Amino acid sequence: MKARILFVQLSFLAVVIGAWELGDRVGAIDPKLLSPPSEVAATLWALLQNSSFLANASDTIVRVIASFLIGAPIAVALGFVMGENISIGRSLSPIFNLVLAVPQSIFLPVFVLVFGLGFTEKLIFGITHVIFVVAVNAMAAVREVPHGQVVLARSFGASKFRIYRSIYLPAMAPQVVTGLRLGVIFAIIGILLAEMYASRTGLGVLLLRWGESYDVDKLMAATVLISAATILINEIMRIWEARIGRWRQVVDDP
Amino acid sequence: MTSTKPVVIETRGLRKVFSAGRAPITALQDISFAVREGSFVSLVGPSGCGKSTLLQMLAGLMPSTAGEVFVDGLPVRKPAPDKISVMFQDATLLPWKRVAENVEFPLEVRGTDAAERRERAAAMLSLVGLTDFGARYPHELSGGMRQRVAIARALAPDPRILLMDEPFGALDEQTRIKMGHELLDIWSKTRKTIFLITHSLTEALFLSDIVLVMSHRPGRIVGVIEAGLPRPRTYDIIGSAEFGAARNRIWKLISQDDDESGDNGMASL
Repeated sequence: MKARILFVQLSFLAVVIGAWELGDRVGAIDPKLLSPPSEVAATLWALLQNSSFLANASDTIVRVIASFLIGAPIAVALGFVMGENISIGRSLSPIFNLVLAVPQSIFLPVFVLVFGLGFTEKLIFGITHVIFVVAVNAMAAVREVPHGQVVLARSFGASKFRIYRSIYLPAMAPQVVTGLRLGVIFAIIGILLAEMYASRTGLGVLLLRWGESYDVDKLMAATVLISAATILINEIMRIWEARIGRWRQVVDDP
Repeated sequence: MTSTKPVVIETRGLRKVFSAGRAPITALQDISFAVREGSFVSLVGPSGCGKSTLLQMLAGLMPSTAGEVFVDGLPVRKPAPDKISVMFQDATLLPWKRVAENVEFPLEVRGTDAAERRERAAAMLSLVGLTDFGARYPHELSGGMRQRVAIARALAPDPRILLMDEPFGALDEQTRIKMGHELLDIWSKTRKTIFLITHSLTEALFLSDIVLVMSHRPGRIVGVIEAGLPRPRTYDIIGSAEFGAARNRIWKLISQDDDESGDNGMASL
């Protein structure tokens, strides 16, 4: 079953790439707008040996990782407190929901004004992207810890610490990991957005530049690379998520 | 029945008022009774009469507004896992732990070392007839099996008292009858003191030495019925005349309480 699904997925991908290549060859696609996959692949290979490209990529990666590593723990703690403490939760969650409704991208000009164009601005913008989604998931995770299991643990004489470790932690883990997975994706979105808006270095700024100068080969190569990397990260996190939450699947896939 | 055994659980003038809402609600009023060592006592009453509240107070999980619970003559103010185990209607197994690990859980909390824990869990699983299921996860088991795991877990710390809050309430009738038999079997093997809450008069009578009858809110003890039925009990007993008569007495106590009754004296067993 799994093999069949993978086969269908790969075939679909092959058909899309094949059609794209064919389209370029027969002239159905204007190569000035969309170069064929064979050329994109060659360009990608060249980019991966190009030290300036790699320096920009590593800037982006460092920004993403830093904003995730700073944002995620704060967010988990915040979500935990909001879920566990009813009065804090009641006062903070409406604010959270209101802020969540506003597109964060509109704050970019303000961020640039306040923090300038450097690392700090990107970092803080990335953190704001991470925090909400991770916190909301952590909050939901705490709220879904079954009360009966907590009472049960108490009846066996479990201390508060023991209840957190033996009941809260495992019960919350799958949903928290879901939040972390989305948090990584949001960090990437935030950092790339900030780079594309205004930056001196980073993949975002390269994308913008190549797009504006009709450098389609490089634009496509970088787009494919970033897409592939994001998909890879997401899939790895999903495997982690599924493993940690295996007990949640009442009926396993056949 | 076993009137010479010492009293293990005693409540004196227990009262519980919930005041979270606008108007305070008296859930329990002047609950006084005693349970003797090794006996099987059931508590029946209409739903919402405060049975579960009472059980939580017996278990030290909820403070009383007035009055006191004593176990072995000492007041209960917090859970006493070395003496009392609690079982709930929902098996409340930890879904991320295997069956054997669930049975080990109270021992894990207590800090028992792993080897001893494993041995004890195996013994308890064999007692409830689930020897081959230790490596399974709870979601792989049927409702009846899950409750048997819960029984094994409750017995794992070797408590003297088992408090059961409608443990078979969520099961279908056949499984429920079977579980009742098995519980009696386990009880006769382990000689624990069992205090069981149920809304089934038949179940209460079939299992117990003594049935406490509770009234509508505020919950009061309106009667103490000695089952007076021979043991070991078989399913046939449910059709007998004595069984029917005792069941009727309980039913009368519950139904006449609807008119109101002011009887809340000390229930002496």
